[in-house]
Amino acid sequence: MLAHAGAMPTQPYISPAMSRNRFRREKHRASETENVVAYHDRSSYALDAQLASLASAGDDAAFTTLVTRFQRAVFRWALTFGRDPDEAEDIAQEVFVRAHRQIGNYRSDGPLEAWLYRITRRTATQIRRTRKRRGRLALTPAARPARDVYTTDPGGRVDRERAATVIRELFSALPQRQREVFDLVDLQGLSPAEVAARTGMKPVSVRTNLFKARKAIRDSLLASHPAYQDLWR
Amino acid sequence: MNCHECLSELATGSLRDLTPDSAVMLHCVTCPYCGPLATALRDREYNAATVLNNLPPTSSPITVAETAAMVSRRRRLGKVAVFLTGAALVATFWISLFTTGLGRSVIGGGASSGPETETIPLSCLSPEKAAELVGPYLRSSGSSSKIYHVDKSRVAAITIHGTPHEIAQSSAVIQQFETNPNACQRPSIAEQIRQMQEELRKAGMDQPIPEPAPVSASTPVQAPAPVAAPAKTPGSRRE
Repeated sequence: MLAHAGAMPTQPYISPAMSRNRFRREKHRASETENVVAYHDRSSYALDAQLASLASAGDDAAFTTLVTRFQRAVFRWALTFGRDPDEAEDIAQEVFVRAHRQIGNYRSDGPLEAWLYRITRRTATQIRRTRKRRGRLALTPAARPARDVYTTDPGGRVDRERAATVIRELFSALPQRQREVFDLVDLQGLSPAEVAARTGMKPVSVRTNLFKARKAIRDSLLASHPAYQDLWR
Repeated sequence: MNCHECLSELATGSLRDLTPDSAVMLHCVTCPYCGPLATALRDREYNAATVLNNLPPTSSPITVAETAAMVSRRRRLGKVAVFLTGAALVATFWISLFTTGLGRSVIGGGASSGPETETIPLSCLSPEKAAELVGPYLRSSGSSSKIYHVDKSRVAAITIHGTPHEIAQSSAVIQQFETNPNACQRPSIAEQIRQMQEELRKAGMDQPIPEPAPVSASTPVQAPAPVAAPAKTPGSRRE
């Protein structure tokens, strides 16, 4: 590192990993725009509202279209709240069950995405509470059923295990608010104002939770710096 | 920028917004400690974002939608069933409350649960006998019931203080024995006179009344003797 710093003293430090990350980020943003609905478009609001209206009238095809549009987003949010991808799948399924029941209550004055996000959050909280209660009552921990993906798609299994590891490393020690805000801002790229609008928190609370989450997550790495102890003394 | 400022920025700042020409990154170029740290932090968060954002759900959306619709309809039916069951349960409870004796007693007991006082007239039984009869019904555990019967004045009645249930029970018992002549052992007239004399004697008025002397026509009527002060005889209180 010293040699590296001496070799390029005037150039900004860009490691090979960083340049690779930048490439990945741009690629990822491009893929995100393909998959996730762009909510800056007003016609998208209108389409969602129309689909919700049809689904509330009992049109199953409209509901299936809604699920197709939002399943990936809901699963992604559920990853933040769950312990692993399997639990996220359960949460996502439950979210759509509740969405089907309550779709008549959806008012078209806000984006459907925000409405679904609130359902996801509530569902995840309830499922976690229920599991905790059942865990206390059960004598032995219940074995998780094996998913089909583990037997049919080895690559998928690896991806899911990696995701579970990431969730465990990043989120397991964080309270739900901090985990949620960190994920939405730093991993999904939303602005604090957007997060505040979606979660119903105040922008100040979003920033506070974000700072706390960042500090908690980065502390373990930053502690290796010699000046770190002096900084927080 | 020194290491402290850089660490402070790295600890709470957004790593996404760090451009290569920012002060933090310029410091990281020259610092042998901050540079690798910044790289490690950015790598870790970017890898996490990549792993989580690119992980697809395994279930097909059509399956999810069909399952959601089916479960939702089933839960709706279940909710209706639970509501109807609850309504039936409540209706059964209220109907039983108004139709069964237990329910009526519960409702009636709630309306007048306080103790009452009642005087029961006696035609055959003496108040003492009546009190002995109803005593066990009134002396239940925790009861504040009492019997007030007039003994001295010989009024043929008994006064009971207790709950409506106790009073009803007592009057039923009294009525049962009032109609039974064997149970009535009220003293006869001669017995009553004897008792009165006994009481008078106890009170000091036990001297018999002197009988008047027989009056004959041949006996001349003597002039009455001059009134003298009567000699006091011990024991005579009557004037």
